[in-house]
Amino acid sequence: MNYFHQVIIVTFWEYKRFFKPKNEVLGVVVMLLASMIFYFGTRYAMSDQDEKPALYVFQNLDSQLIDKLMPGFNVELISPEDESSVLDEIVLKRKGQLLLVNDQGFVLHAYKKNKDVIRGLRTVLDNYDRSMAMDSLGLSKANLDYLLKPSSIVESYVYSGNSRNRVLLAIFFASLMLLAVFLSFAYQFTAITGEKQLRITEQIVSAIKPQVWMDGKIFGITLTGLSSMAIYSLIGIVGGTLYFQFTDMPVSGILDYLYLPSILLYLPFALTGILIWNAILAAVASAITDPNNSGKSSLMMMPVLFVLASFLVIRNPDSSMAIFLSWFPLTSATSMPMRWAITEVGVWQLIGSFVLLATTFYLLRKLAAKIFRVSILISGKEPTWAEIIRLSKET
Amino acid sequence: MIIQPKETILEVHSVSKSFSNIQAVKNISFSLEQGDIFAFLGPNGAGKTTTLRILLDIIKADNGQIYWKLKNNLQTLPEAGQIGYLPEERGLYPDIPILRSLVYLASIRGMNPIEAKTAAMEWLEKLELADRAKDKLQSLSKGNQQKIQFIASILHKPLFAILDEPFAGLDPVNQEKFIDYIKEINKQGTTILLSAHQMSLVEKIANKVFLINTGKEIYYGSLSGIYENLGNQHIIHLSFKAAVSEVDFQHISEIENISRIDDFQLQLTFKHGINLNKALGDIATIGDIANITSHQPDLHDIFLQLVKKHLP
Repeated sequence: MNYFHQVIIVTFWEYKRFFKPKNEVLGVVVMLLASMIFYFGTRYAMSDQDEKPALYVFQNLDSQLIDKLMPGFNVELISPEDESSVLDEIVLKRKGQLLLVNDQGFVLHAYKKNKDVIRGLRTVLDNYDRSMAMDSLGLSKANLDYLLKPSSIVESYVYSGNSRNRVLLAIFFASLMLLAVFLSFAYQFTAITGEKQLRITEQIVSAIKPQVWMDGKIFGITLTGLSSMAIYSLIGIVGGTLYFQFTDMPVSGILDYLYLPSILLYLPFALTGILIWNAILAAVASAITDPNNSGKSSLMMMPVLFVLASFLVIRNPDSSMAIFLSWFPLTSATSMPMRWAITEVGVWQLIGSFVLLATTFYLLRKLAAKIFRVSILISGKEPTWAEIIRLSKET
Repeated sequence: MIIQPKETILEVHSVSKSFSNIQAVKNISFSLEQGDIFAFLGPNGAGKTTTLRILLDIIKADNGQIYWKLKNNLQTLPEAGQIGYLPEERGLYPDIPILRSLVYLASIRGMNPIEAKTAAMEWLEKLELADRAKDKLQSLSKGNQQKIQFIASILHKPLFAILDEPFAGLDPVNQEKFIDYIKEINKQGTTILLSAHQMSLVEKIANKVFLINTGKEIYYGSLSGIYENLGNQHIIHLSFKAAVSEVDFQHISEIENISRIDDFQLQLTFKHGINLNKALGDIATIGDIANITSHQPDLHDIFLQLVKKHLP
């Protein structure tokens, strides 16, 4: 039986082992239910905050200010003699506030600080102070608007491909890749360290070459990650469509985000990126005997750092750092599509970066199989990296 | 009638393997012919499993050559479909239905999945587990899991099967059944190399034996040959009325080996061709004998003798 046939068998075995459509649907349903509970729960919890806060002011306060306070507060007018009894009531009920005016300005008394009340009050009082200042200077509202008007800039660009929609699509793809890598992290652990612990590997490697076993695992688990990516993309599109529907925007607006050239570029980069990370995760998992007691387990978090690093590109896509990230194989899968979405990138750069990415995958899968092969030679204890390197040279 | 010599299908020449500073296998050589049931025997840690892993290229030998001739041409490594392997360290997918696991393992060895399913059901039927085909492995008892592991190793009808400790974990009834299964697959054309330490079971099926201890060969040849060469001594089991010491017997020159069972009992192995009357007369002077039984040495006894003889 040839290599490809065996790899296909192992790939589909791993895929069927880990991709459970029933569990995926269940996961989506649980996610939707949790979102609904969170949404309605938050609304319920916040419902009492819809009530306007009580605000006591003296009857002799400027009526203009009282009018400005009315929309945001339950304003209650009191006589100055009632000041102490109102303060007692505020302490007793632990709610409500008293606004006084003295020579220095406004004074607020409350049981404890409430940021929302302060924010609302400050807006009204700033507005009132400004009106008073305008009156004293003899300015009209039109005069003030004229003074505060921003300068006018007419924007004109030669390159206008960096639309917000394309950047959002690039971020969406990077997030999906991160999701796929996260899923791979869990599956590779189960698939490799689990099999080692269950002592299945000896049975398997007596039948197939370690490279076939490793490639099957990498492809099978990548396929699992891609299936989850497809499901979440679909949910994203459905969610986006619903968002447009509910916000009275045309549903066709979603098409503005689905820019075909971007998708055609992101897919091969994302796919190869997921394959690379699966190869690295497989290599690390191969060197781990017991994930609960292995110092190497922390290495499995490495992909997350590299994928997140690629988000630096958004800040300045033409910086040396961004150019490096878009070529470095551990970050280029997300960084190059992001740069392409934001700035001008030559075709040769896209091709060069992709070739480097694909070559790295080819070599990493070989390295993963080599590590697996030598790590099963060491029995009883977990191999150190030094032992793995030494044995790799010997075999 | 001309008897055709059997074809040699595996030749192992001067194979050695060390791990760090421990030499696990020391310069061993043997060969198997088509149809053999070859028993690779030795105590725990003797180097049996290491040798088997070398044969399967799971680990590499430091020295020596291995040649397979399962088809007409010489190979340094057999094809996946030609070999069946029951590893000592058992393991299958515990959370996957048994039939699915069996079909997968046969598929990666090149068997058509439909044929594999049919063959798996036949074997499950034979081993009285057909009704559990869709159950997960983890729901089976340890003995039944062992049966599934056995099926996984021979389902694809290999030309050569390596069975490492096939009787481990089985009750006596199932051990006997396994002997029949091994005989059956051997009759169907599978050459067997089995590693075990249950000598009494092995001597029921093997035609050739290789005894290994601390990585070294201590005997290699036919099973009948080992009895001819080393099985013609007398072994007597003695019970005395009063306590006796091994030292009391050391002056009797006819005795080759003394094994103390307790204060009152011991087992004596006599040298080949001695004057038994004289030896028994000398023994009678040591103490009052309560009981005496005698037997020819079995494989277990021969193995113990050889190990003692080869002690450094």
